[in-house]
Amino acid sequence: MQERWAAYSSRSLFVWLAAVPIVAGVSYALLYSLGLIGIMAEGLTLVHWQEVLTDTAFWRTLGFSLFVAAVSILLSLLLALALVLRAPQAFTRGTLSFFIYLPLSIPAIVMAFFIFQLLGKGGWLSRLSYQLGLISALEQFPDWVNDNYGIGIIVAHVIMATPFFTIFFANLYQNERLGEYLQLAATLGAKKRQRIFRVAVPVLLRRGLATVFLYFMFVMGSYEIPLLVGSQSVQMVSVRTIQRLQRYNLGDIPEAYAISVAYTVMVVILLGGLLWYNRKQMGRA
Amino acid sequence: MLEIKQISKQFRGEAVLRDLSFTLQQHEMLSILGRSGSGKTTLLKVLAGLEAADSGTVLLEGKDLSQKPANQRGIVYLYQEALLFPHLNVFENIAFGLRLRKVPEMEVRRKVGHLLERLQLPEQSTKMPEQLSGGQRQRVAFGRALVIEPQVLLLDEPFGALDTETRRSMQQLLKRVAKDLGLTAIFVTHDLKEAMLMGDRLGMMDGGQLKIYGNRAEFIADEQTGALEEARFWTDLQSIKLTK
Amino acid sequence: MSRLTKIVLIGLILFPFAFLLMLSLGRQWPYPVLLPEQWSLSNWQVVLGGSEGLGNSVLLSVLLSLSVATLSTGLSFWVSRHIAYHPKREAWLSLAYFPYVFAPVILAACLQFFFIVGGLYGTFGGVLLAQLFITFPYGVIFFSSFWNERLRSMEELVKTLGGSTRQAYAKVLVPVAKGALMTCFFQLFLISWFEYGLTNLIGVGKVPTLTLRVFQYVNEANVFLAALASCLLIMPPVILLWLNRQVVFQERNI
Repeated sequence: MQERWAAYSSRSLFVWLAAVPIVAGVSYALLYSLGLIGIMAEGLTLVHWQEVLTDTAFWRTLGFSLFVAAVSILLSLLLALALVLRAPQAFTRGTLSFFIYLPLSIPAIVMAFFIFQLLGKGGWLSRLSYQLGLISALEQFPDWVNDNYGIGIIVAHVIMATPFFTIFFANLYQNERLGEYLQLAATLGAKKRQRIFRVAVPVLLRRGLATVFLYFMFVMGSYEIPLLVGSQSVQMVSVRTIQRLQRYNLGDIPEAYAISVAYTVMVVILLGGLLWYNRKQMGRA
Repeated sequence: MLEIKQISKQFRGEAVLRDLSFTLQQHEMLSILGRSGSGKTTLLKVLAGLEAADSGTVLLEGKDLSQKPANQRGIVYLYQEALLFPHLNVFENIAFGLRLRKVPEMEVRRKVGHLLERLQLPEQSTKMPEQLSGGQRQRVAFGRALVIEPQVLLLDEPFGALDTETRRSMQQLLKRVAKDLGLTAIFVTHDLKEAMLMGDRLGMMDGGQLKIYGNRAEFIADEQTGALEEARFWTDLQSIKLTK
Repeated sequence: MSRLTKIVLIGLILFPFAFLLMLSLGRQWPYPVLLPEQWSLSNWQVVLGGSEGLGNSVLLSVLLSLSVATLSTGLSFWVSRHIAYHPKREAWLSLAYFPYVFAPVILAACLQFFFIVGGLYGTFGGVLLAQLFITFPYGVIFFSSFWNERLRSMEELVKTLGGSTRQAYAKVLVPVAKGALMTCFFQLFLISWFEYGLTNLIGVGKVPTLTLRVFQYVNEANVFLAALASCLLIMPPVILLWLNRQVVFQERNI
């Protein structure tokens, strides 16, 4: 029947557009990294994987990516929660409820450019410091971009993530009617600090865990911001991978694919962990 | 008019309809009493072509309906909820079936206007569904089904969501309209009184099987229907009152 | 929240926009001058006058993002309906999360080979297809919360009243879904509009969208044109925000 044809073809389309590219991509990367395909392929070999897994730079990259993502998310969460808990209504009604959306219209590449022009040695803050007499030459301004701690990257991500989380938690606050719970806690004798840390934060974080987690993954795999604002010596995963793929040294390519596969495996494990945790939560609830 | 022969259907290993057979005469309203889970909705959906039976045949005026898709059967299935299209006003909701068939504008206006009168809705024709009461919405749902003059109308607990007052007036309205238009219909309900009030003929559905009664007395006499139990309840109450 | 705090927050929010606009108007910015010198509209005039090819990039970006958004919204709307009504709905939906496991740019890197072999490398069509890989699953997840029992009953109702599937879509499903369709369309438009890494890799610079131009100017150390291109990039989302905030952000149940 027509209905059955429609159902079948729509699901086929879904598989072709959603699953097939991923499977094809991972397979290609895996095969290339094993030396089975590619320009310099000589047959099954684990040499590339060995090189990657014993390379300290690789682990530093992974660690650095995790570090940047963790710090960015943590800082934005702190800011967003502080804002929402201080003035829960301000972000769902009134002027601020419009303005808080504005930063979301800035894409990563523009944000990277902005941060570079703001925090760089030749940037606006540096000039301001000079004008205020805090420094007397350009070189004296601290390294806030292209540095080894990823300061510029973190700042950029915090500026992008804070409005996002603020809106998210403000909506969540309303939907979960947190205000009423906090009043209830007060009548039960809870002081302000207790109300925040024993009621508000747990409720918001629990419901928002999946979203926070997904954003964390997004920051870890980010490309444009570390590309413009990161340093050469310590790179984030995406930048390192793409850079190795586009170098003239063809020997780097299988390793780049190995990194891609390793990163994907890590993400799948983390995602699996999230799903397992979610299911446990549902079971309990 | 409508012949149902040995319809069976299983769902997840359980038999929902067991070897069901009965006939529906033209211009008659068959009332089926059935508790939830008795399979009454499944039966109606099978008749309407919205679900397929595992075995058995459905004949409308002698013609086999099993190959015909739902939109070609001339049988309309009405849900318990009025399900008015939220983006159309009352007039357009009723006219919907006519618009599907590309009926010319003049005729649409005539037919819809006629029904609006019959269903006591003429003031509401430009209102949107969210502005109507529960009873008004049900009337619009009726209008939407009746305007295309279906051969058989299947009503699945249409008054279930209404309050007692509205329910009573809707029952009377439907009975009147059914008689005026000579409707052929099956009316399914879990309410004993409603079943007895609405039907020309009575039936009871239980555990996937349907029993049709020859007349009202037979229906009442059968303990299964609960009519006797109900009657006893009220008579007991009366005698208590008298003795007190 | 006090008035002062609100003003400070709004000021902080507006700062990047003002900064970029200011830079786009400058022609010189020697250290350690705080504001760019030689303010003029000449940068904008040059661009709007047609040279620099930024006008072309704008048109290209608009065309690309509109195409991606239209295709993805339509396809995911249709597909999500069939998935939502499937008994194993949860399993199917989890497939839609696959692409998010990859960073778009890494996905593009792994698929480069296939695009080359398919003759789509460096073409508009290739970039469009690659962007579909990330927007289509998003659309399916977006619409998954839209389909419910009520809508299914409405679809059946149309059938029982004598309508075909096409009529059910045209006269009921699409009109009722109008709000959701618009929101999805604009969200997918923005995802495409902002895209850089994947577009650069698959398009090899031969599909010079606005995001690529920003990067190009940054590489050339042309601060002023980079700022200008950034302003052009930001304008549509800001306008869309003005029209309807939900377009840029919508709560989803994950």
